[in-house]
Formats: sequence, C-alpha cells, structure tokens
Amino acid sequence: MSAELSKPGQHLVATGLSAGYDGRAIVSGIDIEALPGTVASIVGPNGSGKSTLLKSLVGVVKVLEGQVKIGDNVVTNTAPEEIAKLGIGYVPQIDDVFPPLSVRENLEIGGYLLPRRDVEASIEAVLESFPRLKSMLTRKAGKLSGGERKMLAMGRVLMLSPSVLVLDEPTANLAPLVATQLLEEYIRGFADAGSTVLLVEQRAKAALRISNWTYVLGGGRIVLSGAPKDLEENPLFVESFLGGAAPTK
Amino acid sequence: MSSFGFGLITAAVLAIATVGFTMQFAVTNVLNLAYGSVMINSAYVTYYLNIHHVTIWLALIGGVITGAVTSWCLNRFIFTPFQRRNLAPITVVIVALGVDLIGTFGLQAVVGSSYVAFHQTAGHEYHFAGMILNGLQLIILGLCAVVLGLIHWLLKYTRLGKAMRATSANPNLARNSGVKTQFIISTTWLISGALCGLAGTVFAMNTGVFEATSAQLYIVLLLAAMFLGGPGEPYGAMFGALIIGLSTEISAAYINPQYKEVIAFLVLLGMLAFRPYGIFGSEKTL
Ligand SMILES: Nc1ncnc2c1ncn2[C@@H]1O[C@H](COP(=O)(O)OP(=O)(O)OP(=O)(O)O)[C@@H](O)[C@H]1O
Ligand SMILES: [Mg+2]
Repeated sequence: MSAELSKPGQHLVATGLSAGYDGRAIVSGIDIEALPGTVASIVGPNGSGKSTLLKSLVGVVKVLEGQVKIGDNVVTNTAPEEIAKLGIGYVPQIDDVFPPLSVRENLEIGGYLLPRRDVEASIEAVLESFPRLKSMLTRKAGKLSGGERKMLAMGRVLMLSPSVLVLDEPTANLAPLVATQLLEEYIRGFADAGSTVLLVEQRAKAALRISNWTYVLGGGRIVLSGAPKDLEENPLFVESFLGGAAPTK
Repeated sequence: MSSFGFGLITAAVLAIATVGFTMQFAVTNVLNLAYGSVMINSAYVTYYLNIHHVTIWLALIGGVITGAVTSWCLNRFIFTPFQRRNLAPITVVIVALGVDLIGTFGLQAVVGSSYVAFHQTAGHEYHFAGMILNGLQLIILGLCAVVLGLIHWLLKYTRLGKAMRATSANPNLARNSGVKTQFIISTTWLISGALCGLAGTVFAMNTGVFEATSAQLYIVLLLAAMFLGGPGEPYGAMFGALIIGLSTEISAAYINPQYKEVIAFLVLLGMLAFRPYGIFGSEKTL
C-alpha cells in the first residue's frame, strides 16, 4: 500500500446503535469502535446484519437509535455524500462499481471530491497499488472479472486517500491467494500506515489473522467480541466459526 | 429519395427529443410521458415571442428555457414527491400520463384549437444526392448535429456528465463517492428539459403549422426510438431516432402517413423480438 493512499486514521465509534429498513430494526444495541492504526473486524453468519450495520455507519441505512461518531463529528444519519467528505471510504458487498463506466471513469468518480488537478496523480497512485488495472483502464467495469472488479472497487475508495476504510466482504469470490494478498498486504498495510479499518469478513480465520479486535454479530446483536487470540481460545467462537474444538491448554 | 430527406429531418428532431427523454429515464428513473406536452408548450412560448416581433431563432431560446424550467419544476414538485413515497414505479408513469393530459388540454383551453405557424421562411432549396432540402431543414440538421455533439461531450468528457452516468448506474455508490445525486438529478432535468423545449420548437418548425395537440402522439415515436436503441442509452437514442425517423417517413411515401406511429411500433416490436434490451442497451446504462 503506497503511503499517499491513506491518511492518519480517525476514531470510529457507534454506541447503542439500532438500524434497519422501513423503521424495523435489523441490528440493535450495537456498541463498536475502530481505532486509528488498527483493523476491527465483524464476523457472523449470513443474514446476521453485518452489511446493514456497515450501511448504517455510512449513511445508506437509517439509524433508528444511538449514535455514530467519526473523530469529533457526530454523523448519525448524515447523508452518504457528507460522510465521504469526512474521509470515510466505503466498499459495499455488492454493487461496488459503476458497470457501464470505464475503469478510469470509475476511479475518476472515486476522486470526485478531489481538486481537479489532483485526480490524475491519485489515479497513478492507485494503479501503483493495483497494477493489474493499468492494462484495462478503458474497459467497462461491468466487463471485469470478479477479482479485477474488487480491485477496482478498492481502488475507487482509495482515490480520496480515506482516513477510515469500511469494507464489506472485500474478499468474497476472490481466489484464495488473491484474497490473502488483499487482506494481509493491502488492508493490513492500510492500518499499519495509521488509518482505521472496519472490515466485515466471512472467513473468520483470515479475519482474526489481520485484526486487532473482532466483533461477532448474531441475530442483529454483538454476541461476542475480543482480541483475536482470546477469541481463538473461546470454545463458543471456535465451535461456531473456526470449525472444530477449542485448543486445550 | 425525397422521402429520405424528410426522414432525415424527422430523425433529427426525434433524436434531439429522444436524447432528452432517455436521459430523464436513465438518471432519474422517470418515464416522463408528459414529455410531448412540455414540447408543445415550449413551442407555443416560441410562437408567442415570435408573433411579438422576436425573430424565430431568438424566440427559440425562449422555448428552450421554457422546456428546461417546466421539466425542472415537474421533477421538483411532482415526480420527486411521488418517488419519495416509495410507490411502485408504475405510479409515477400514471402521474406523468396525467400531467401530459393536463399540459396538453390545459394549453388547448388557453390557446384554442386553431392551427398556428411561426413567422419563418423555408429559405433556399438545395439539391444533393437526390435529396431536396431547404435552408430551414439544413439548419435543423445542423442544430441536431451540434446538440448531439454537445451531449456526447458532456457525458464523456465533463465531470458533471460522468457524475450523471454514475448516478444513473449506481446512485448509492455515487453518493458514497461524494456525488450530490439530488443536485445531479435536478441538473439532468434542466438539461433534458432544454432538449425537450428545443425539440418542441423544431418539431413545430418542421411541421409548419401546429396546434395544442400536435405532439400528442409524439410520445409513441419517442418510446419506439428509445427502446430501439436501448432505454437509458443516449447513443442508442440517436440511432433509434434515425431508424424510426427514416422508416416512418419512407413508409409514409407508400402508405397513408396517418399510420406513422403504427410503423414506428412495428419496427420496435420486430426489433424487440431479437434484442429485448435494444441495440445498444444492456438493462439500463447511461
Ligand atoms: N433492503 C432491505 N430491505 C429489507 N430487509 C433487508 C434489506 N437488506 C437486507 N435485509 C434483511 O436484513 C437482514 C440482514 O441482512 P444483511 O445483509 O445485513 O446480512 P449480512 O450479515 O450482511 O449477511 P451476508 O453474510 O449474507 O452478507 C436479512 O434478514 C435481510 O433479509
Ligand atoms: Mg452482507
């Protein structure tokens, strides 16, 4: 991860959060935080509300109760375009690119808030990090492979050098090797450079390996949380997520 | 061959109109069936300026502004409030249909039902490639080329145009990237409305005489041209307009011109059987 793609992180905190669709809460009583220079991850079964939670943090889904704070700003139910201005980069689980736009145009929209003269340099920096995209700048995003598309989706948010990255299953559909590289090099590297990462990851083992703190979401609530090495020894966690019995001491 | 010339002019007018129509659909998800009534109202504003001693080409600007402002207001005060309520998309279509009737017959109530015409001269006749085109028709062709060129430039090379396409493709992601989509949508209505006003005026110029309900069936040609090229595809719209414009005018030379709209729909149905998303389209892309 090249240094100019990230900024010093901001503290992201949600307290007493409930959120959902049409006034009906899908997640509730959520307390989570992500600190600068760290990766905080959220794991949990399908339908447990991980995506809904992330969406409520970035203004896409309505917060029904509680508060979201980024740095010193209270951003509860702030419009997504305002959240972007605060330096939050969000990569959704699906619909993560603009299919009819070319790869270059996707990156340009990613840099929409940049001063015009900085856009080109930012595209260069993103291509430095994702060299595979270099040869497909004029191709429509809708024509990319799943992996290329994820790279573009990541590249798009990095255009603004975000201080906080909110990522919803960035490794879904990626080949194991590419997934590991994305997590351990790019995403971990982003945190190591001082930024804040909040990550939803289906594969618990991989999530633990790069996280400083992990939350377990079940039925719309945080059912467990802790540092990776504590969770690895928690029988409940091991049984549900790591597949197997907890290591005996 | 002379019907080919007519077809070309009809296609040029239709192209200007369809590009605006398809932009509204692509960026704001409104199938604006009131488009024809905005066209004819704009033509009437041009007409009133024109008979009050404003030269036709200056009066045309009045028509363009009328189209832009009216369309902006339609979106702001009618379509957006209905969309906010999360009703089924068909509801907005029905609302637009109602607006169309009100716009057309409201105009008729005000201006009466007699035919009017601009103070305009058709100009010299020029012969080439077997076609006979007069000065006015050449100007319409030129206007069409300039307008389509500008739209191409807007969508492909400007920040605003790219934001419009991004908003069309994925509005949530556009907002997450910092695009103020509400502003983009309003601007789209201004621009597409200007195209609508322009189209209405050149449509009236081209038919020579017109009255309040003259553009009532125009929506049929618009729909045919739009779906032919692929809904929400500006380049498809230009292409669809060419096909529909030519086929309706050329067929009119052989069979009753009253059947124009029928021909348009036959062409459309034939095409849809082979490519349901239109020639350029893939579901919805701007
Ligand atoms: N737009 C929506 N409207 C209504 N309900 C929704 C909507 N999106 C999701 N839901 C519901 O909210 C619940 C949580 O969905 P969510 O996508 O947040 O789960 P998730 O944990 O991200 O699952 P996955 O691991 O499959 O991505 C599900 O029961 C889902 O059906
Ligand atoms: Mg999800």
